[in-house]
Amino acid sequence: MIEITYDVFTRKNRGDQLSHIGYVDALDDETAKVHAWTTYSEETWFEMCVVKRSQIIPVNRDDGPFAKARGGVV
Amino acid sequence: MSDTINVKELTNAGREALQRLILSLADSKRLMGIRYSDWVLGAPSVETGIATSSMTQDEWGHARLLYAMLKHLSIDPVPIEHDRSAEAYANLSVLDEPFDDWVALVAAIVIVDGALSAALRAFSSGAFEPARSRVHKMLAEEKFHVSLGVAWYGRLATASDEARSLLRAATDRQLPATLAWLGTDDTASRELVEIGVMPPAATLTTAFKDSVRDVLADGGVDVDAVEPASDWDAARGRAPGQPDADSVDRARGSRNRELFVE
Repeated sequence: MIEITYDVFTRKNRGDQLSHIGYVDALDDETAKVHAWTTYSEETWFEMCVVKRSQIIPVNRDDGPFAKARGGVV
Repeated sequence: MSDTINVKELTNAGREALQRLILSLADSKRLMGIRYSDWVLGAPSVETGIATSSMTQDEWGHARLLYAMLKHLSIDPVPIEHDRSAEAYANLSVLDEPFDDWVALVAAIVIVDGALSAALRAFSSGAFEPARSRVHKMLAEEKFHVSLGVAWYGRLATASDEARSLLRAATDRQLPATLAWLGTDDTASRELVEIGVMPPAATLTTAFKDSVRDVLADGGVDVDAVEPASDWDAARGRAPGQPDADSVDRARGSRNRELFVE
C-alpha cells in the first residue's frame, strides 16, 4: 500500500512559533490529519498542520530529508 | 428542534423503548471499541495502529457516556456494564465476532461505525435532553473515524482483485444486518418516534445510505439495492445471537474484577 510522508507542525499556545514535531505516513490528506492528531496527542495543541513532505522546498541544501523527498541528492 | 421530554411522564412502553435504544447504542459502542482494539497491533502501519488505538478509546468513552444515560431512567448502569450475560447484549450483531482481517475492519468503520453515527446524530436532535447535550462531542470525534474508513475503503477497492473481493465479501456480510438494526420499523422504534426521541426508521435509513452511498459504490456495492436482514429480536433491538464469550469478558472487565472500583 503506497503511503505519502507528511510533516507535522504544531503550536501549543496562540502566539507560539509553529514547530516541526515529526512526521507521519498516510494514504492521503484526510488520513494524514487523523494520523498526526492521534500520533502526536501528548499535548493539547492550539494548532496542528500537516504538509506533504514533497511540497516543502529546500532553500540552502540538497542533502536533507526534504530535498530527498523532492528527488535531491541522496 | 422539539421540546424535551420529561422521562418521568413516559409510559412503560416509552421507557422500555428508550432503554432499548440506549442499551443498543452503548453495547454497540463498547463492542466496536473491542473490535478496534483487536487491530491496534495488527494494523498495516504504526500510524494506523495508533489511530485504531485512539478510536478504541473514543468508542469506550462513548459507551460509558451512553450507559450513564440509563440513570435518567432510574437504572443503575454499573451492573448493566459489568454483570450482564452475553445473551442480554443488544449490540449490532455484526460486532458479535472478531473480524478476520483488516479489510473487514475497514468495512465496519464505514458501515457499522457509520450507522452508529447516523443513529447518534438523530438521537442528538431528538427530545431526550441528555442526548442533545452529550452526543455532539461523540460525533465530532467520529469525523476522524469516517476519514480513516473512507480513505481505506477507497484504497482497498482499487488495490488488487483480492483486496476488492475481500472488501466486497465483508460489505455483503455487514450491510444487511446493519440496515436491519437501523431501519427495522417495530413497535419500540415507532414508540421512539411517538415520544419524539428518534425519527422514523425510514428517515434514519435514508440518512445512513446518503452518507455511505458514494464510498460503497467505489467497492462495487449499490447500497440502495441491498435488502435488510429479516432476523430480528425485538426485545433487544438487534438480530438474534450474542457476542462471543471472550468479547463479553473484555466488555465486562471480568478478568480484572477483583480490581474493580466504582
